[in-house]
Amino acid sequence: MTALLDIANYSLAYRTRGTETTVLSAIDLAVGEGEVLGLVGESGSGKSSLAWAIMRALPSNAREDGGTIRLRGDDLRAMGPAKLLEVRGGRIGMVFQDPATSLNPTLTLGRQIVEVLKQHRGMGRAEAHREAVEALRRVELRDPEALMARYPHEASGGEKQRVGIATAFACRPELVIFDEPTTALDVITGNRILELFRRLRDETGVGGLYISHDLALVQKVADRVAVLDRGHIVEQGDARRIFTAPQADYTKRLVAAVPTPEHRLVDDQPAGGEPLLTAEDIAVTYGRKRLFRDKRVAGNRGISLSIGKGEILGLVGESGSGKSTLAKAITGINRFTGRILYDGRWVEHERQMDRQYRAGIQIVFQHPDASLNPRQTIGEILQRPLRLYGGDVKDVPKLLEQVRLPADFARRYPHQLSGGQKQRVAIARAFAARPRLVICDEITAPLDVSVQASIIELLLELRRAHGTAYMFITHDLNLVRQIAHRLAVIRGGELVDLLNAEDVGAASTHPYTRELMAASSSLVSNG
Amino acid sequence: MSLSWFLKRLALIVYTLLIVSVVVFGITQVLPGDAAQSVLGENATPAALAALRVKLGLDQPVLVQFAHWLGGVLHGDFGTSIRTGQPVGPMMFTALGRSLILTVLSLALMLVIAVPLGILAALRRGRAADVGVGLISYLGVSVPEFVTATVLLIVLADWLQLLPATGYVPLAEHPIEGLKHLVLPVLTVSLVLVAHVSRMVRSEMVDVLHSDYVRAARLKGLPERVVLVRHALRNALIPVVTIVALDVGYVLGGIIVVEEIFALPGIGRQLIVAIESRDLPAIQAGALIMAATYAVANLIADMVCALLDRRIQYD
Amino acid sequence: MTDTFARLIRTPQGLAGLVLILLLVLVVLFGPSIAPVNPEKMDFMGRFAKPGAAHWLGGDQLGRDVFSRILTGARTTIPMAVGATLAGTLAGALLGTLSAYLGGRADEFIMRTVDAVMAIPGLLLALLVVSTLGKGDLNAMLAIAVAFAPGMTRITRSVALTARRMDYVNAAVARGESGAWIVFREMLPNVTAPVVVESTIRVAFAIMLFATLSFLGLGAQPPASDWGLMISDARVYLHQAPWMIIAPGAAIAVAAIGFNLLGDGLRDAMNPRNET
Repeated sequence: MTALLDIANYSLAYRTRGTETTVLSAIDLAVGEGEVLGLVGESGSGKSSLAWAIMRALPSNAREDGGTIRLRGDDLRAMGPAKLLEVRGGRIGMVFQDPATSLNPTLTLGRQIVEVLKQHRGMGRAEAHREAVEALRRVELRDPEALMARYPHEASGGEKQRVGIATAFACRPELVIFDEPTTALDVITGNRILELFRRLRDETGVGGLYISHDLALVQKVADRVAVLDRGHIVEQGDARRIFTAPQADYTKRLVAAVPTPEHRLVDDQPAGGEPLLTAEDIAVTYGRKRLFRDKRVAGNRGISLSIGKGEILGLVGESGSGKSTLAKAITGINRFTGRILYDGRWVEHERQMDRQYRAGIQIVFQHPDASLNPRQTIGEILQRPLRLYGGDVKDVPKLLEQVRLPADFARRYPHQLSGGQKQRVAIARAFAARPRLVICDEITAPLDVSVQASIIELLLELRRAHGTAYMFITHDLNLVRQIAHRLAVIRGGELVDLLNAEDVGAASTHPYTRELMAASSSLVSNG
Repeated sequence: MSLSWFLKRLALIVYTLLIVSVVVFGITQVLPGDAAQSVLGENATPAALAALRVKLGLDQPVLVQFAHWLGGVLHGDFGTSIRTGQPVGPMMFTALGRSLILTVLSLALMLVIAVPLGILAALRRGRAADVGVGLISYLGVSVPEFVTATVLLIVLADWLQLLPATGYVPLAEHPIEGLKHLVLPVLTVSLVLVAHVSRMVRSEMVDVLHSDYVRAARLKGLPERVVLVRHALRNALIPVVTIVALDVGYVLGGIIVVEEIFALPGIGRQLIVAIESRDLPAIQAGALIMAATYAVANLIADMVCALLDRRIQYD
Repeated sequence: MTDTFARLIRTPQGLAGLVLILLLVLVVLFGPSIAPVNPEKMDFMGRFAKPGAAHWLGGDQLGRDVFSRILTGARTTIPMAVGATLAGTLAGALLGTLSAYLGGRADEFIMRTVDAVMAIPGLLLALLVVSTLGKGDLNAMLAIAVAFAPGMTRITRSVALTARRMDYVNAAVARGESGAWIVFREMLPNVTAPVVVESTIRVAFAIMLFATLSFLGLGAQPPASDWGLMISDARVYLHQAPWMIIAPGAAIAVAAIGFNLLGDGLRDAMNPRNET
């Protein structure tokens, strides 16, 4: 039996400025009829390049070093341009990572699906329109007729991704390639997209190649999994087997790095006694009153919570829920109303935040690219808190050592470091102030799983050494349940749930928290 | 594009014109020399001078003069030219008409040349055609109009004797002669624009060609022609509309020189004459009309953009 | 700084621009001494001399050597253009930063007004200013500075606003840094690069604008050997001696191309992320 997609001994390199970098070497991969193969790899593993290679849409500096790519026995590499047009979008459908950028902003959603039907199924305008409406109905979009006339910016992220899926399935493809289709979406929305995919797969029996960096997620949708590490397939096999009994070292590390709530990384309890910081009725509004209309939007509404000494408080919510807004209020970046009790003193305005307050409460931002000034060296960046809060400037090497970075990094600029290294510098800067509370605002979100795990390890190590409390802001419920003592769940700027980590799932859990839990993929519960 | 957006834009234009009036009026107020003196000449008697000053309102405080002038403008009365004694408004609007013909023809010629050039350069990125277009555009933005104009004059009018060198023939009376007289000015003005706009089209097109949605369109199996025209070009040209509108400001500056060189009696030439003869009402009216033209061009461009790109939120 | 320079000469535009500008600087510094003939020396026999061994770029209506005049003329044109751009940039940068810093209604008022002033074509604004202040090269320089200020204000403000929203500025605010530190040490270094790029390209505009003003008789005054003025003088003789126009025209173009190239090269080189 020939496989649906059969890749044999395929190698690929990119040429930049005369030097050649191997991206994929001797890839052997097969997707059977009706099978979904999960392709897992971290950034730079070559997983996207493989997708471009299958679609025959490689950048001009790519050089292929032998191997074959066959779709039901037809050699894709040998196909001429006309044949390839039939393959792309016709025989192979593709769902893209970010629905916000992969849909043309100046064409209606309807037109973007109709054009595919006209191209591949030879339909006339009216017929294509009817079929498009049906395709949109099949992906569970409400009122598809109306949606057809809308532009991408008039639809939500989830709706747009459904349109993308409808387009990919519209021409009854033999194979569908999914390129991280939920990464750009919120947890709950992403989970619904996954459910849709599972249903469509059952209905159509289509074969799939599901590309993702997220092991846990792949396990939910794939029959078999291939693990890609720097251009090599290190392991391939039954999905469940890969996660329960990984063979290759790299896979073992990956599996170990996946956060599972059952695997607690913190076993102590906070000291108790007086809370370190108490926030009362914090509200933040954005925008300002205009001449004709009040354009202010609430970022936070009356949030009250406290953090104990050495406690890790997880602050969980979807994007736009107001998590960062709260962090910025507490650190005096955003204007707020309400009051904050710290060190026996009430603060009601950011101007009342004295040096002691500011040193005691530090913040680490999500994107180190944005939070480290590109025109200052790492040394200059780390010296600032030392000068400001009365440290010794000669301590910079010590600070670097504390976050496991070599001392000579002090002379480098941020852009010369990797993402994980930059985030370590940002953490070192926070700890230079000898803080009692560090607010971590989605600090692991832009990082690969393995790097993420090492950053968490570092944070816990620093906490053991200094007794620091953390306010850990994240959308990743699994991750935060590993480390937090308590969880605060925030939605639409309001605090909806505040509970102990061990009580998650208990009867008193808020329905929204339950929904988040259900949407968060977990290895164990499904394995 | 709502009514309130439109009204807001109109209010902005009114504000713009008010500021322009203040700036122009302010500058012309401190012009050295005395308008009355320049009208009556060196030998005028003090009594005659004083009488004329009263007549022109020059004895009033500046603010009163400004209010008086502004009131007149609102009624369509731009005042009387000190140089010719004729009403300034009709004179300037007739001149504006001629300048607009020059401007519109130049913009049209530019678009016909610059857009294909820019697209070609983007599609052949890094290759000979791209480098060639790049060199042309460097040359184009680096040669001032008066040099281009003079060189074109030497080559086309003087050496090859193909075209009349200077002067103006109304299009309505002698369409062919009129057009012939317009060729050199239009070529001069559009040359700089071609350089500028082809660069912009190229860089927008390069960006769009690298966008996710163009890649998605290719991966949907659409033919390259459809990808380029329907998905890439449309998005690349939207920002170009705005740039072209901003360039109208540049053209209006450029025609001052071009009209002077080719003796084309447009608003630019009128302004030069007015400045040289310190004809205050004419300077004020000319500058205001130019600014209004520019503001309206930008409003039109924004409206075109809004029609092409529904993302733009107007409220 | 040395990094930027190394990256600059690695871009083709940057290298070409730099070579042209170096050439210009040499001409500005040593032009009169390397000129083959005294640029003001009139020579009856050399009137309208064709370009050749005696007069490389020909002679003008008074028999003055065009090549020597161009070499000397760089002294008026180039420093004036650079000076005008610097003044305009400085004024614009201050106003733009102030506007971004104030924010809210003040920002809106300043920017709407700047937009309004930008509705007056730059050349017209310069003409008005020169006619107010009187003819002359210093006044022309001031006029160009005035014409440039609104555009530079707009650019500086937008760059400053981008920098203001970056998390490194938020980090500094959270740290409790002073306003001066935030503006001068966190924001300004990131604002400088785009502004430097823009003003380099604007020097090219200034050269052209200054030449245009001289051409219209409002900039440099005779007998200065300013390039724009040379063209203006030569127009009468365009039938007999086209080189009198083409040579200074080419000089203006070369100078402007140099600054345009350098600006584009700097744009690539000053982006810290563009390092290999």
